[in-house]
Amino acid sequence: MGAPRPRSPRPAGGAEAAFLPGPPASGATPGYRAPSCTQGGARRAGIMTDVHRRFLQLLMTHGVLEERGVRRLQKHCYRVHGRTAAVEELEDFINNINSVLESLYIEIKKGATEDDGRPVYALVNLATTPVSKMASDFAENELDLFRKALELIIDSETGFASSTNILNLVDQLKGKKMRKKEAEQVLQKFVQNKWLIEKEGEFTLHSRAILEMEQYIRETYPDAVKTCNICHGLLIQGQSCETCGIRMHLPCVAKYFQSAPEPRCPHCNDYWPHEIPEVFNPDKEREAGTSKANKKPSRSRQH
Amino acid sequence: MSEQSKDVCDPDSAPQASNSEVHISPGVPGGPSQPASQAATLAAPESPPLGPIEAPLPSPPPQAPSEEGDPKALQQAAEEGRAHQAPAAQPGPAPPAPAQLVQKAHELMWYVLVKDQKRMIIWFPDMVKDVIGSYKKWCRSILRRTSLILARVFGLHLRLTSLHTMEFSLVKALEPEELDRVALSNRMPMTGLLLMILSLIYVKGRGARESAVWNVLRILGLRPWKKHSTFGDVRKLITEEFVQQNYLKYQRVPHVEPPEYEFFWGSRASREITKMQIMEFLARVFKKDPQAWPSRYREALEEARALREADPTAHCPRSSVSED
Repeated sequence: MGAPRPRSPRPAGGAEAAFLPGPPASGATPGYRAPSCTQGGARRAGIMTDVHRRFLQLLMTHGVLEERGVRRLQKHCYRVHGRTAAVEELEDFINNINSVLESLYIEIKKGATEDDGRPVYALVNLATTPVSKMASDFAENELDLFRKALELIIDSETGFASSTNILNLVDQLKGKKMRKKEAEQVLQKFVQNKWLIEKEGEFTLHSRAILEMEQYIRETYPDAVKTCNICHGLLIQGQSCETCGIRMHLPCVAKYFQSAPEPRCPHCNDYWPHEIPEVFNPDKEREAGTSKANKKPSRSRQH
Repeated sequence: MSEQSKDVCDPDSAPQASNSEVHISPGVPGGPSQPASQAATLAAPESPPLGPIEAPLPSPPPQAPSEEGDPKALQQAAEEGRAHQAPAAQPGPAPPAPAQLVQKAHELMWYVLVKDQKRMIIWFPDMVKDVIGSYKKWCRSILRRTSLILARVFGLHLRLTSLHTMEFSLVKALEPEELDRVALSNRMPMTGLLLMILSLIYVKGRGARESAVWNVLRILGLRPWKKHSTFGDVRKLITEEFVQQNYLKYQRVPHVEPPEYEFFWGSRASREITKMQIMEFLARVFKKDPQAWPSRYREALEEARALREADPTAHCPRSSVSED
């Protein structure tokens, strides 16, 4: 597809022992114990039960899911299998699963939406370039359009690339010639598939894209990439200090300055000139009712 | 089970499609007698390339011994075609390190998961082209490892659903499945739209004309020419995407001028959606008891009973290849 395929270095041999041919798994396999990972022995081995398997299946089906949805999913999985045992704390539940997934180079990654800090989860593959995940959905010229949009977004000051600027690059695309009208529809397809978010004619990365592509982006655009001063994660949207230029995610700003009487830049101590957003409170969300929760994915800020 | 996938790697056993219990035999796979028909059956631009693959995991197999004779070599050459010019007599290239096979298995696992997530067909030649690549000689062991991982970690069976079209699908090995619809309820918009159309077709008992479908969708405020905030281009969705995903069939009505089209259930819908689900959907939409459609309800009961008898342990899709 024309996409480079950098491979992350993998430990030779891996945890191969886990998958030697054994009793075939037909129907429910009660408990499958994964070996502790070869790299960091600190992680305890995880036990994989049908509850965990169903959870993984459903998470994969959704692609990306907000924390509230994830909790609901977890409860559903426990209920289906009739486990009256107390539902494990979500973090432990996920860590448990991740310890099994580790040797497969996939992970349930937790991130947050950049505009209001909602936690989101996605099952991501750590080993391949994520553009390949989209590769089977989109044609070569569409993928290239995405790459161009991605570059514009990363290079931009605000983390948004205007529709006009993206469409102006239509002539430079690899593959079949694409007209601007077509390109507009392709951009909408990206929005519907949760790779991009549109806000008032401008596009930025969906949290799903950030979760799945963080590694790829860091490797491909090492100089242009921005990071958050607080969490050190990839930063697309955020606030920046006007004096020293460091950047922070909006939810990181909210958390950092939560009870500060006078917000000051953590780096240069200058007065922080921007409005401090509120920390995301999941309980407030629940009170607001379900209408907010079921926002349509396209053309909406919440994701 | 996961054994079935071996069938594909072994074109010679293609005639025995119905026999799902092919074990990995260290001996020569049977029947070099039909090289021509093999090639015909497997005629595809990316023809499944596999020559015979012998030894099981983990040691990669040696190249086919020359005792098979010329028909085999012919077939192999014909199928493999291009760069891979190894005639039957020569020993093959050095086997890759086990770690690389493991890595390929992981890549294949992810590939299959993503294809399934997007509801795309998992086509064997695609698997070879996109993932296995130059390791196609060891595709059987890679496939087996992948199936194992999928079963143990995800509780999914990688199953060959059609040897003829070389399609795989991921089948849930856990039961019960129907409850997952509740968990997936936020995908309801798409499913709701689809169920609406499927139930219309079902209730009619035959194909539903496109005009009839739009009459029904009009109730939801959907029009063929209007873009919808959730569904986008609805007409494209139902006539192209749902068709591509095999949920619907969109066919021209014969002998009608000007041309008209009608919808039928697609093969995937027949596999994934039970009549009972349709009846429940209808009951919800019309706020009536499902028994208000007595003949349909009877059919749904029949189907439910047949499914339960066919496989008491897990809800299995009605595929041509039997399981375990």
